[in-house]
Amino acid sequence: MKHKLAELVTDLSADYADIRHEENRKIQIVYRGKKLEQITASSTAGGNLRAYAGGGRSIASFSDPASAGSIAKTAVASARLVGASRDTPLRIAPAPVVTDSFLVSPTEDPRSLPLEEKLALAAHYNELILGEADVVSTMTAYDEFYSRRQFINSEGSVVEYDLLNVGIAGFVVTKRGNVVQRIRFAFGGNEDFAGLRGREDDLKRQIVKAQELLDAEPAKAGLFPVILDQSESSLFIHEAFGHLSEADGLQNNPAFRERLQLGTTLAKPILTVTDDSTVPGHPGSYEIDDEGVRGVRTHLITEGVLTGRLHSRETAAEFDEPLSGNMRAVDIQFTPIVRMSNISIEPGESTFDDMVASIDDGYYLVGAKGGQTSGDQFTFGAQWGYRIRNGKLGPMVRDINMSGELFSTLEAISMIGNDRKFGERGGCGKGGGGPMQLNRKSGSGAPHIKIDRVTVGGVG
Amino acid sequence: MNPIIDRAKQTVDQAELYWNRTDRIDVRYANYSMQTITQDQHSSVALRVVSDGKLGTTYGITPDQDGLLEDARTAAAHGDPATFSFAPAADYPEVRTYDGEAASLTSEDLVALCEAAKERIRSKRPDIALAIQARRETFHRIVQTTHGADAESRSTAIRFGISAPIKGAGIRVVKSMASIAPFELNEALVEEFLEWYGWTEKTSTPSTGRLPVILAPEAAFLLHLPLCAGLSADAVQRGTSPLCNRVGEQILSEKLTLVDNALLDGDIDSRAFDDEGVPCQKRAVVEAGVLKGFLVDQRNGAALSVPSTGNARKKALFGEGTELSPNPWPINLETRPGEISYREMIADLDEGLLLTSGMGFHSGNYPQGQFSVQAVGFHIRDGRVVGRLDKTMVSGDIYRDLLSVRAVSREQKGHYIDSMLAVGRAPYILIDELQVAGQ
Repeated sequence: MKHKLAELVTDLSADYADIRHEENRKIQIVYRGKKLEQITASSTAGGNLRAYAGGGRSIASFSDPASAGSIAKTAVASARLVGASRDTPLRIAPAPVVTDSFLVSPTEDPRSLPLEEKLALAAHYNELILGEADVVSTMTAYDEFYSRRQFINSEGSVVEYDLLNVGIAGFVVTKRGNVVQRIRFAFGGNEDFAGLRGREDDLKRQIVKAQELLDAEPAKAGLFPVILDQSESSLFIHEAFGHLSEADGLQNNPAFRERLQLGTTLAKPILTVTDDSTVPGHPGSYEIDDEGVRGVRTHLITEGVLTGRLHSRETAAEFDEPLSGNMRAVDIQFTPIVRMSNISIEPGESTFDDMVASIDDGYYLVGAKGGQTSGDQFTFGAQWGYRIRNGKLGPMVRDINMSGELFSTLEAISMIGNDRKFGERGGCGKGGGGPMQLNRKSGSGAPHIKIDRVTVGGVG
Repeated sequence: MNPIIDRAKQTVDQAELYWNRTDRIDVRYANYSMQTITQDQHSSVALRVVSDGKLGTTYGITPDQDGLLEDARTAAAHGDPATFSFAPAADYPEVRTYDGEAASLTSEDLVALCEAAKERIRSKRPDIALAIQARRETFHRIVQTTHGADAESRSTAIRFGISAPIKGAGIRVVKSMASIAPFELNEALVEEFLEWYGWTEKTSTPSTGRLPVILAPEAAFLLHLPLCAGLSADAVQRGTSPLCNRVGEQILSEKLTLVDNALLDGDIDSRAFDDEGVPCQKRAVVEAGVLKGFLVDQRNGAALSVPSTGNARKKALFGEGTELSPNPWPINLETRPGEISYREMIADLDEGLLLTSGMGFHSGNYPQGQFSVQAVGFHIRDGRVVGRLDKTMVSGDIYRDLLSVRAVSREQKGHYIDSMLAVGRAPYILIDELQVAGQ
């Protein structure tokens, strides 16, 4: 296979070509309520090819290896068609040739465990939830994804690498009268099955919150100072800032390119943000990206100043900035796009108690509940929250979210906690100019942070 | 029948094969410059089996892939007892979903469509960072079961969209169209895009309080997605749907009728059969605001002791694909149009919002009908648009706030490019009041 792929990319008469071949194995077990709704073991394979020719770029993907040759030739012709229409040719930054192998060997390897064991663990957690008061439904899903990838380019890189990710995630649905609430939980997020065991206490804490939410009042809308817990801070820095540090999103947006020049002051000096694929054990950790470039630690904001960006070889050439190894594809059907690895806010010096004490009338938002950004606008949900009045935590609130504009919100970060935590499960949806790719290998971490003024939305 | 169905008959109780082959060409421009051409050719299969009374599933590339049936049997060995049967033989309705000319479109043809849009818009607005997308897709879908269902269809889809980021903000103005057959550049689409882009150049923040809101077709997900969740037989049989036991009741304004029209001639979302091989149909789910029935697949139909309505889709909130389990979802949902134009709605308002999207929808409690989103759209004062919405949240509950609808427009549209949340077609809907948090 490797030899055939190498022949394919070198015989294309393209300026540059690469191919990524994948053999993927997935196991999914899904409980909903008392029912085992899905148990799946599946195997897929295929390839994804990129060609640069005549100043243009083209992409092709296929599941039938027999069609690889013809589709690759069409891709080169398409790249030339793109190039012929452009005023400025697309080009890629030089990158070291890599001939190496990066295979994973976890402490407790999920690939070697029997299906029965995975099923029993998911069932155990699901039953634990169902045994609690007010619970009307659950979703408990075991997800294991293993991808053996081969990357070969026309410059001589030949890389074999593994992606392995295992986790249990889901939600608890509680109901009393007409009030229905849902709380998420998630364990794992790396290659080690051991991280999924013994998580009963963590799960019970989430169930208690789902029960307590039934008595909580909806949040009131308005402008407030807020404290975000580590999970919500992680979501904020990932969604609101992180996506704007991905250079492919800026590449064709002149207004944002102008606004986000390196050296621009974005926040108070207390804020430092990094993206780091080299730190082990997190969802977004890896050795090499899907463009054959080694992952690194990138300082995105250093003491409030924009100092770095996440790149592909193409955007690194266009911005004349260093490679960062952030090109990743979810699976065969997708071409790599620029993605965060493990983005995080570096720890500060404030304590949580200091933050609460500094607020007369505001909210404490807890637990990421998904978010959405569009350029500099963001909206995030929180799983639950608490009112803060006169420097003290008040009652729990539900149905709470926050929204705002990135730049003014970054400036409004006034305290950073000394208690950074990384989330266990990753996840990020991004189109990047193509179809939506839902990437499970995306991590984030942060301490508590205080934002002086943000729009809080609620149903009330 | 595919040989795997014959093999399955000898080794398992029941089997269902879902096989989809796609061929896609996608052309993208950014900032008036062609960026890339993508060509994808994929085959994917899902095989569900019931073995010794238990259900298991596997996915793969082709039905003749080594180990496919064995993987499904392994999964079934650990599965729960199957509570339903795969679809039986059926007569499928005729519906036109394929156009031969569309199937043979090349990347050059799509480039020509994009170039026409590029030249047309650049002549008016060279200052914006225009993105253009044109995509041609063909699908060859087969569903076969050991119970005799044998469904096969070919379909085509051409999607075209133009968009540009608003200056000084990242939100985009987007307009799109789609057809099963080739089409020329639509002048009305371009004109509306340019008009809406012009409206974004000033910002305006409305008053805080309860204001009338025009829900544009692009924002129809605020109505359609909570309804998809509430109408799902899955939520009904679990008791979590807010519509449980409410068939025959008024759940929305009498001005709102929603039809799941799988048989709409020549529409890209029409289908003769669902993802379990059950015939699709045209049926009203809400008629003049009254709940008429739910969306049912084989599994949930068995749990509720009702037949499938042909609404099994391999679809979830954020995606669609062979590797998703079938679950109840509309095939081709539409909110039926009314009689006035949306410009008349705008002219009629002293103050209100034209909502074209809402950010953060999916993090809210939408399965219960509630939403709280950052408003994207335009502020209306004294019967005209005065600017794009800034620093504005809108919240509501469709089962409370959409009982009072003032008008429904005669214009009806879908949203066809890379929207995570788009589902179905809708007119502009003038809601009496929603809670707005602005100034």
